Amino acid sequence: MSAQRLTAVLMGALPILVVLAVWHALCSFDFAPPSLLPPPGKVFLRLAQQLGSVGFLDDILATMIRLFAGFLIAVVLGVGIGLAAAVVPAINAVVRPLVQVLAPLPKVALYPALIILFGFDHASKITLVTLDALFPILLSTYYGASMVEQKLVWSALAAGTPRWQILFKVIAPAALPSILTGCRIGLVIACIVVFLAEMISSTDGLGHLLVGAARTFQTVDMFVPLITISLLGLTLNGLLYGLRKYLLRGFPEV
Amino acid sequence: MISARNTVARLSPLLACLGLLAVWQVAALWLDTESFPTAWHALQTVPQVLGDPEQLLNILDSIRRMVIGFSLAVLISIPLGLAMGRSARVSAFFNPLLMMIYPVPKAALMPIIMLWLGVGDASKTLVIFLGVSLPVIYHSFQGAKAVEEKMLWSGAAMGLNGLQRMLRIVLPAALPEILTGCRTGLVLALITMVTSEMIARQSGAGNILFNAMDMAQYDTVFAMIIIIGALGIVLDAAFDKLRWRLVKWAEPHQEILLGAS
Repeated sequence: MSAQRLTAVLMGALPILVVLAVWHALCSFDFAPPSLLPPPGKVFLRLAQQLGSVGFLDDILATMIRLFAGFLIAVVLGVGIGLAAAVVPAINAVVRPLVQVLAPLPKVALYPALIILFGFDHASKITLVTLDALFPILLSTYYGASMVEQKLVWSALAAGTPRWQILFKVIAPAALPSILTGCRIGLVIACIVVFLAEMISSTDGLGHLLVGAARTFQTVDMFVPLITISLLGLTLNGLLYGLRKYLLRGFPEV
Repeated sequence: MISARNTVARLSPLLACLGLLAVWQVAALWLDTESFPTAWHALQTVPQVLGDPEQLLNILDSIRRMVIGFSLAVLISIPLGLAMGRSARVSAFFNPLLMMIYPVPKAALMPIIMLWLGVGDASKTLVIFLGVSLPVIYHSFQGAKAVEEKMLWSGAAMGLNGLQRMLRIVLPAALPEILTGCRTGLVLALITMVTSEMIARQSGAGNILFNAMDMAQYDTVFAMIIIIGALGIVLDAAFDKLRWRLVKWAEPHQEILLGAS
């Protein structure tokens, strides 16, 4: 089993190494001029350098504040509205058509309107992140909660659980795997959107670094924020996976 | 009784649209600033924008790029996803790389791709392609993985070879999931289209939107938001209809919409 896992890990590492090797080869054999494609060694060295500088860490912090604020608001709203819509038919009747209209809307197109309404600062970016991360969380919460087996509810009622506690003691835990899947999708989206919003209009953050570097043709500095946001996304995804494993211990399959 | 209920169900998205526009109208009247026009005003600007041949060409340009990028992505991603779902080796090979690429905002690659391919169609189409392919690969992968082994064994016992099994068993069985991925991809294509044009301000709907924003033509900004939003809703509804025709037999499936790139 462990030997199998080892081969799987090695197999997975292979294409990443191949990409890095091709990248390196392209640079060292002069196929690509370094102004267009800097060698990977230089990019990672620059990343390590930047991680030591205060300015860069401030940018990361700004991005993370927006990311977390937007994502957390989306989780609270998404889970709340999703559960409410699954339990109360009247709320469902209102929420359903609204979601049908709003979910396929490209939210980035709303960004100019958000800037006009909330200004250039944190608020407009956090709102955009919330809007984009909200719908996957809401939809998966809703589906998870409406798939809960009726038998579980009946058993809980028969065992003497008060009606108002059913939501928290039966439905929410039973919908948890689905909710966490939605959160995971929402998190990836939040990473992507916060970066885009910062690229469009910002004075700090990783997206702003990329645009600034692009304007002055500092190719090395263009790669650094991209790799940083990718690493940030991977780390957060890993943390969420750990949380999921912890929360869902005892569930039949994760 | 059923038909009456159906009409209500059919009309409810329309009612939701009207409700949102009404909220907008009230908010605009209440805020009463020049930079936030009323819904009625913005709607009146829509025919003006669409009537201008240059702008209309711009928007059609965007749609053409989106269609090309989307089709290429679907054509390449579905076979890859199915192969990943059926073979543990292929999935072990590609999965980590794809996991690394997933949280990278594809439209953020635009400045770098622009250096290589220029500001023209090629770079924008490539970015759309990248944005669409990941969810389609992921959903095809999930769909192919969930195919019942028994059906494949029966197929093999009846003499189907590997490719035939793939085409006649795995593909149809994974189709509902694949189409969910394509639907997500469609929304993503639209978003990537807008963002890529916003970064490479040369042509397209995103270009009009953000140029109007910079020049403080707020009526045009909001009219473009309505146009792009309507495009998203119409494409999504059309795709849903197609999906319904193709996989009528399947259970109504959980539909999680992704919304970004």
